Amino acid sequence: MSAVDYPVDEDEQTLLERIQDEPGPALKLLAVVVPLFAVEFGAVASLVMSLPWSAVGSALPGFLQGLAGALAGVGDALANLPTLLSRSVIDNSGYQLPSGEWVGTTLGLSPAVAWLLRVLLVYAYGFAWMAVGWWVYLVYRDNYRYADWAPVDDMVNRFRNHSWGLLGLAIIFAFVVLALFAPALGPTTVEANISDPYLHTVEYFDEEAGSVQEIYVGDANRDSQSRGQGGDNVGPLSYDQFGRFHPFGTLPSGKDLFTFMAAGARVSLFIGVLSLLIAGGIAVTFALATAYYKGLVDLGVVIASDSIQSLPQLLFIMLASFVLSGTWLANLYSGGVVLALLFGFTGWPGLWRAVRGPALQVSEREWIDAAKSFGQRPSVTMRKHMLPYVVGYLLIYASLTLGGVIIGVAGLSFLGLGINAPTPEWGRAVSAGQPYVPTQSWHISLIPGIMVVIVVTGFNALGDGIRDAIDPQSDVGTGQQDESAAAGGGA
Amino acid sequence: MSQQPERGDTGLAGLDCAPGETLLSVRDLRTYYESGDLIGGQPVKAVDGVSFDVKKGETIGVVGESGCGKTTLGRTLVRLEAATGGEVRVGSDDVTELSGEDLKAWRRNAQVVFQDPESSLNDRMTIGEIIREPLDVHDWGTPAERRARVRDLLEKVGLQEEHYYRYPHQFSGGQRQRIGIARALALEPEFVVLDEPVSALDVSVQAQILNLLMDLQDELGLTYLFIAHDLSVVRHICDRVAVMYLGNVMELGPTDELFEDPANPYTRALLSAVPEPDPTAEIDRMTLRGTPPSPRDPPEGCAFSTRCPVKIRPDGSDEVDESTWEAVEVFRETLRARSRTERSLSERARELIGLETRFATVDEVVGELFTDRDIPVSVKEPVDQAADLAREGDEDAALEHLKGELGSVCDHESPEDHAVGTEGRESRCHRHAAEYEEPSAVGPSVGGED
Repeated sequence: MSAVDYPVDEDEQTLLERIQDEPGPALKLLAVVVPLFAVEFGAVASLVMSLPWSAVGSALPGFLQGLAGALAGVGDALANLPTLLSRSVIDNSGYQLPSGEWVGTTLGLSPAVAWLLRVLLVYAYGFAWMAVGWWVYLVYRDNYRYADWAPVDDMVNRFRNHSWGLLGLAIIFAFVVLALFAPALGPTTVEANISDPYLHTVEYFDEEAGSVQEIYVGDANRDSQSRGQGGDNVGPLSYDQFGRFHPFGTLPSGKDLFTFMAAGARVSLFIGVLSLLIAGGIAVTFALATAYYKGLVDLGVVIASDSIQSLPQLLFIMLASFVLSGTWLANLYSGGVVLALLFGFTGWPGLWRAVRGPALQVSEREWIDAAKSFGQRPSVTMRKHMLPYVVGYLLIYASLTLGGVIIGVAGLSFLGLGINAPTPEWGRAVSAGQPYVPTQSWHISLIPGIMVVIVVTGFNALGDGIRDAIDPQSDVGTGQQDESAAAGGGA
Repeated sequence: MSQQPERGDTGLAGLDCAPGETLLSVRDLRTYYESGDLIGGQPVKAVDGVSFDVKKGETIGVVGESGCGKTTLGRTLVRLEAATGGEVRVGSDDVTELSGEDLKAWRRNAQVVFQDPESSLNDRMTIGEIIREPLDVHDWGTPAERRARVRDLLEKVGLQEEHYYRYPHQFSGGQRQRIGIARALALEPEFVVLDEPVSALDVSVQAQILNLLMDLQDELGLTYLFIAHDLSVVRHICDRVAVMYLGNVMELGPTDELFEDPANPYTRALLSAVPEPDPTAEIDRMTLRGTPPSPRDPPEGCAFSTRCPVKIRPDGSDEVDESTWEAVEVFRETLRARSRTERSLSERARELIGLETRFATVDEVVGELFTDRDIPVSVKEPVDQAADLAREGDEDAALEHLKGELGSVCDHESPEDHAVGTEGRESRCHRHAAEYEEPSAVGPSVGGED
């Protein structure tokens, strides 16, 4: 007999075919997703166009270059489409006439209100995407998935009822939105206010001259410094004398703290995520390999990880970043890349240790033997039969460690070793405000400090929630583990 | 049913033998687990010189206590463990040395059904994916044909097609075992190792699964190696039975004959442990003394010699009475246990300065066993000398001494396989040799014999 004897069944369809059969829910979903995407399409296009395409274009053969040029033109045009969340839609820059009227801002709103509206709009947009993500899951689960029930459903339900984990998710989501939409969220931009203040100007109404004057941002900043006792101070939620609104006040240099924080969130998130991608990738690869092969492979990795763990991580990172400071690597992303690499390559042993246990546990299950008995390749066995059980634990420990990395980077920047000035980093704000903590300029240190605490707590809460969701029986890392992971940076 | 290449291509031509011919021929198979220590350490001799044939289409049972090596034997046959020595012949090929395409062909033709249905199915995959996986690995047919084959298999093992998209969590133990069977049968193997497939299931479900296995065997012409510790199950399903003890096959023969008239002392002891449903029945149970020896350090002679109730006595010890002789055996057992025990540093120190340790002193043991006994000199002398040696902490030397003085052929020589019964049954015991009495003549009666 041959395989052809079997009636080839037609009832297994691709997802696309299933959607074609029952397009209703998918169309409804699309009706929301398309406009949601369309309002920000310009931003996505400009992100795509900001990649170094010209290098690609010049490498193309001649006849294609014309085509590429045309494409680039289209791309640029798309990139210049107005987007909902750009600064110009709700503009908060303007000046106030003696009559109290605001000129230049959207609808003549005061800059504070205009800025707040924009922030609310951005967060509403972000949370709308989150809701859409949840909706996609529901639509897929209820309409298009073959299985009525899957193990992931139970995890999702457990997480939904985990209020501490949900709080963590909300905090982290807010943090990610802050990082992603940093340019739109700040009352001003990094370029205008922080990195190139003498290339940008602001207009303000000069009461002495009785007319609207233009002044370099740098000069304006000098008159809006926060220097504690006896000096100038622009505190949180206040205007400076140039009609600029500072939600978090200003730095001792007169730069806007909120803009600094939003841009710093990007840096922190970038370093945290990149270092954890590196550390997590190494950790999970080693965990699967050591659990599958055991023996000498395991011993080798144990020795390697122990050698790395015996180094004092923060001191080692300081040393290495100092050694690397003259190289091209140190200039990538203002030193962010080198920090991410260092945290990644020194951080994997901890993660590996954390997921090695679960990996060993799952490697003892009989389905691994079953896979071996019919000749499944080791790499596929690891991916299909072990990874799904390990990746949850990796998420837990990664989210716990991420807080530690953020603290570590902030700590290094505090010591002047982290991110090069003038690129914003939270730790540098804490450091800059340190002399002014007991004065009326307390906001410079305190606000970034509290933000670090909130974000790290959020990551820990999220990790707790994921842990309880994937494995309700487990009690991994209560207490001590959380603390040590959160304190991973040591600073 | 499949479009597999001809087996001749892969070199495993031996798989195509006719029903009743020898499919697998296991010769002196040994599987040792290396000890975890980096230096030294005795390997665990899980399977220690096993030989038997498996005929195509039969069900051969392997029974024995926990830890006797029966599961390791099954795992070695399907290449889940590497054999330390010996061979497993399929036609002209040695399974223990296959590699590449031949190994792949063997993997396709030898499958396992595992004991614990809770652990043998990946919870994160649907039933369809689980059963399909072997087909995917061996590139069987087109994806649509594979799906159809999975549906067919689901029906064959008594499940429904709709179960394709369910997850293992949604099934009972019996149903999960059916899924495990379907996965094992997906590639149409010739040989299936059933590793205690029903021992984790409810009794009512056990019967269903056993009947399913027997129906499938009839339908597909499968050959089973059925590993079990439940003797009634073995009697129900197996054509032949191998009784294992400490890595050795003690007795191997047709099921009915072996159950009716067990020849080997160990088989007799095992069978006498089967509960009798009639509460008024008076049975003379053969309870075995002690525990099996460590497979790291099996006895030199017969594997069963340390516990055998009908062990041959050395020449010239006929006048020693039964209970004294047993006291000698218990004494040896105690010494053996002491020599195996790891002693901590502090215990060694206490011993050295003469403080009491948790080990009873040799004198206590000797006193308990041998006072109030009229011991002939031929026994007393070796015992006293062994006690002296043991008192100095040298249990191994004491054991050697006792073995030399009071040991019999059972302690010194590994027994041969003797043909017993009428249908090619073999039993490994010195008592089958002409010069000794048969085990059944000296021990209590067991099984169907009068």
